[in-house]
Amino acid sequence: MTLDDVRPDQPPTRADIDAAAAGMLPERAIAEGTVGEKLRELWEEKPGLIGFISTVNHKRIGRRYLVTAGFFFLLAGIQALVMRTQLGSPNNSVVSPETYDQLFSLHGTAMIFFFATPMNNGFGNFVVPLMLGTRDMAFPRLNALSYWIFLFSGLLMFASLPLGMAPDGGWFAYVPLTRQLSGHGLDFYTLGLLFLAVSSTVGALNLIVTTLKMRAPGMTLARMPVFVWSILVQSFMLLFALPPLDLANAMLFMDRRFNTQFFAESKGGDTLLWQHLFWLFGHPDVYIIVLPALGIVSSVVPVFTRRPIAAYPFIVLATVATGIISFGVWVHHMFAVGISEVAESFFAAATLTISLPAGIQMFAWIATMWRGRVVLSTAMLYAISFVAAFVVGGVTGVMFAVVPFDQQVTDSYFVVAHFHYVLFGGAVLPLLAGIFYWWPKITGRTINEKAGKWSFVVVFVGFNLTFFPMHISGLEGMPRRIYTYGADTGWTVWNVLSTAGSYLLGAGFVITAGVLIESLLRDRWAPDDPWGSNTLEWATASPPEDYNFPVIPTVHSLNPLWDGETLPSMAEHRYDDQRTMLDHHKTLRTSELDARVEAIIAMPSDTSVPLWLAACLTLSVIGLLAGLYVLAVIAFAAVAVAAVVWLWKRPDTEEPVDATPPVGRTTGWWAMVLFIATEGATFAAFVASYFYLRFSATGPWPPHGDIPPKIVVPSIATAVIVLSCLPVWLAGRWAANGRRALATTASIVTLCAGAAFVVLQITDWFAEWPASTLSKDAYGSLLFGLTGLHVAHVVVGLGMLAFVAVSLATRRAAARPGGPVSLIALYWYFMALVAVALYVTVYLSPRW
Amino acid sequence: MVLVSAAGHSTFSPVGPKADFTTFAWWLLFGVAAFVCVVVISLVVGAAVVRRKARRVSDSPATGFVLTFGVVVPALVFAATFALSVVGIAKQAHPQNRADMTIDVVGHQWWWEVRYPGGAVTANEIHVPVGAAVDLRLTSADVIHSFWVPEVMPKMDLIPGHTNDTWMQVDHAGTYRGQCAEYCGVQHAHMGFEVVAQSPADFQRWLQGQSADAATPTTAEVKRGYDVFTGGTCATCHTVRGTSADGHVGPDLTHVASRSTLAALTVPNNRGNLAGWIANSQQLKPGNKMPPQPLSPADLNAVVAYLETLR
Repeated sequence: MTLDDVRPDQPPTRADIDAAAAGMLPERAIAEGTVGEKLRELWEEKPGLIGFISTVNHKRIGRRYLVTAGFFFLLAGIQALVMRTQLGSPNNSVVSPETYDQLFSLHGTAMIFFFATPMNNGFGNFVVPLMLGTRDMAFPRLNALSYWIFLFSGLLMFASLPLGMAPDGGWFAYVPLTRQLSGHGLDFYTLGLLFLAVSSTVGALNLIVTTLKMRAPGMTLARMPVFVWSILVQSFMLLFALPPLDLANAMLFMDRRFNTQFFAESKGGDTLLWQHLFWLFGHPDVYIIVLPALGIVSSVVPVFTRRPIAAYPFIVLATVATGIISFGVWVHHMFAVGISEVAESFFAAATLTISLPAGIQMFAWIATMWRGRVVLSTAMLYAISFVAAFVVGGVTGVMFAVVPFDQQVTDSYFVVAHFHYVLFGGAVLPLLAGIFYWWPKITGRTINEKAGKWSFVVVFVGFNLTFFPMHISGLEGMPRRIYTYGADTGWTVWNVLSTAGSYLLGAGFVITAGVLIESLLRDRWAPDDPWGSNTLEWATASPPEDYNFPVIPTVHSLNPLWDGETLPSMAEHRYDDQRTMLDHHKTLRTSELDARVEAIIAMPSDTSVPLWLAACLTLSVIGLLAGLYVLAVIAFAAVAVAAVVWLWKRPDTEEPVDATPPVGRTTGWWAMVLFIATEGATFAAFVASYFYLRFSATGPWPPHGDIPPKIVVPSIATAVIVLSCLPVWLAGRWAANGRRALATTASIVTLCAGAAFVVLQITDWFAEWPASTLSKDAYGSLLFGLTGLHVAHVVVGLGMLAFVAVSLATRRAAARPGGPVSLIALYWYFMALVAVALYVTVYLSPRW
Repeated sequence: MVLVSAAGHSTFSPVGPKADFTTFAWWLLFGVAAFVCVVVISLVVGAAVVRRKARRVSDSPATGFVLTFGVVVPALVFAATFALSVVGIAKQAHPQNRADMTIDVVGHQWWWEVRYPGGAVTANEIHVPVGAAVDLRLTSADVIHSFWVPEVMPKMDLIPGHTNDTWMQVDHAGTYRGQCAEYCGVQHAHMGFEVVAQSPADFQRWLQGQSADAATPTTAEVKRGYDVFTGGTCATCHTVRGTSADGHVGPDLTHVASRSTLAALTVPNNRGNLAGWIANSQQLKPGNKMPPQPLSPADLNAVVAYLETLR
């Protein structure tokens, strides 16, 4: 009997299906039988090298993230082994101090930026659309772009090491040291991280929109898996945490290269401004790393305890609470800089508060295990060991809230032990759990579980042997970031143990790699659902077909594969065009809260434009790095061209469902709103920096003399841009009603007003010169920096307006509600709002 | 190079009120932490063992258990921890007895400038009277450093452009080792210092000695060394009070022979090391800011002889 013989009114027996399709979930087999072939043809990507560079498929991109992040982990790990070798005996000379300083700086930077978050993103990319029951991410081309930028920025950062120019200021790069360090190391650092931030921001935006708008019908927020929640929260955190870091890196680059004075104490700048901006990013960052890892544990534990996760609402609450509170504790990294006692107490309290949500999650997992039946797979062993390591790291973290104790052990090996327990224990162990858990789904093959468990033992023992002794050497007075130490300090024995442990840990990773490679060399094919899991990604082939699901199911619960209703819906809907979408690359757009179907949206096919854009941006960064500014400008212009080509080819098709006009907020609307949010956070951080420097300045403000800036031209300019909100609003209204000519005209009027604003602002710059310059003092740096950043954003807005005017006139853009004009109108309102804020900050406030 | 000090360096052997508190806090926190770890690890490993052969799987959300042990119990523990933190912050703010001396410490790459009231200036050694509270004013001449002498007190940063006010009290006589604890460049690893607590009488004697001008040369070789020192490059960077040498780049050398180490605890202070340091300090502390000094062997010996008289 073949699947062709299946008739909808006579469902086959399980045995029939099993015979016909070994390893396939019966419901999927039925669905594939009806629509699989057509979909395969439709979604197939180009083969070979062309396909490799032009793919926009989230699974291929996700796999690349995992492999590339794994590669950077390997490089950073080797750096760690060299450092441990150097510290293995006192007064050692394996490496020079200069080399050691580059090693520890790059090790930290690489692990945090180029391994941990990208690896989380790899799982996010691969798993989230599958867990949500959709066909790809919201913005597949943007997804490809974020990968290519990640790859190029990582290669650029690591290229610095063989050139002898690796960053050597530590991973948190405190000024004034980093302002003064000669060579290009810190330029690699600032520009490399700024470059990476484009990838991280765009990736976060993509994940948020996917999670909010592309869930399968019926997957309300209360039925969204914990892993997806953790990715959603992490992505929101990235959008708000990256701005202060980007600002700090830009300021440091400008201070070093163009002599601005943001951090120059004698010129109105402030050393501590760097620390505030950095840790405003840095503390949320550790939760950005840890939350998805906790999400992986919440995915693994239910499957290997054969029951749903306990206290789901509280785990979700804990995840969201952690995300929010993490923005309020950053000063606990600065307890030794001489802050007030009030500040110390406040931040101690906040730090303790953030430990509570973690406790909720720990006990939820413990409760799940005690009420379930435990299956000790390799993934589960890693999940269990994570709980042990994380509680050790967590309790030492709580100790840091006792401020005088913090002041004893901060900047010592005790804190190195703490953060390796929470970062290795709290992120690497869950990532390994994720690798072993999702391996069959990602590769289609199974792992030798016995070998996997032995690799776990070596890794876990090696990890503890490496990092536990560091608690003791820290308490014995060993500071961080020292390339050697004396024999009489008493630190030798602990260092020897750590070094031995690190070699064992390295061996553990070699064994792990061996286990994974062995799996790839064998033909132990995995069925759809080898573990008997509960979430939707397991209702696909292993590895999934390009289109993921032949039929978009209706989700009935938090555990779709266990509820007996979601899977059958896949077979039930196999003749429903809305769920199969056989004519184009399409998927469903659903509502944010309840996942009711709103529209059918077109997905782009493979294109190499993201690669070219990333390559041009890389050239631009290299130009800036090397001081070849002409190259930088030309390459950046090429980026703009690539962006135009990209947008011109947009698949701007939104189909209504049931012949009614599309409802709800579009993916484009969300993208613009989130973009405005992150850029808004950047301006907010910059304005806050202005007032921080203003109020910590000891002399007059502006420092070059009590001369407030001129006000006439800025007043006119601000009025112009605020008034130009009217034509752009009208353009949006007219476009929504299909009045193309009027909409085009209004866009051009707005563009002219915007251009006038730019001209007026530039005129003001010349008027301020030379009383205020970029490099004279911090005030000048702030004036030109703030208004310069704004002008750059306005120019981008002018580009958008020009593009929209042309595409409206040539009928390329849709003249409909929610179309591109209304999105650009949002951006324009944002530009006007920032103009007013800067007017008040830069031009009015010095007069108060 | 070698890192030397006869002193200990561990938070486990506190000798002053500030370190006493942090060590006490450590043991208290350690006790609670160890208990929590044992409980949690037993629970999770226990479940892995006990629930492997479980036959009955319950789907219950276990909200009560999670909230009690995940929120209520930790909240109580955290409240107590916060109380400990606040008490500690308050205690560390001011000494019990008023401080009657202020010492200024200025961080440099990679040495410590120590200035006493009355004009005494030294480097890499801080002497204090036993049992007395001393105010410290900390700042930096270049990048951020951190003042950490674990047996005596928690660390405090030295930040250029800012002055951090704190205090120190050592209750037991002895020598205690400190080290810079904020990465400050290539020789951060070799920026140590010593805190020497002496009886009040011994301290007064030491301070008087340090406040005095340099000893005048007596022998011919020492006089030659004096001439080379004050007439050559030495004087452009170093100060010897009572002579024309008035440089402010490197440490004050007025009483250099009284110190136990050279180069911030990098090498013991003896004739050989002194000569080696002057001739080519880059061999002992590569990257440090003192360039090699091309002196003839006779001149070098003379300078060393002169410096050895600066007790």
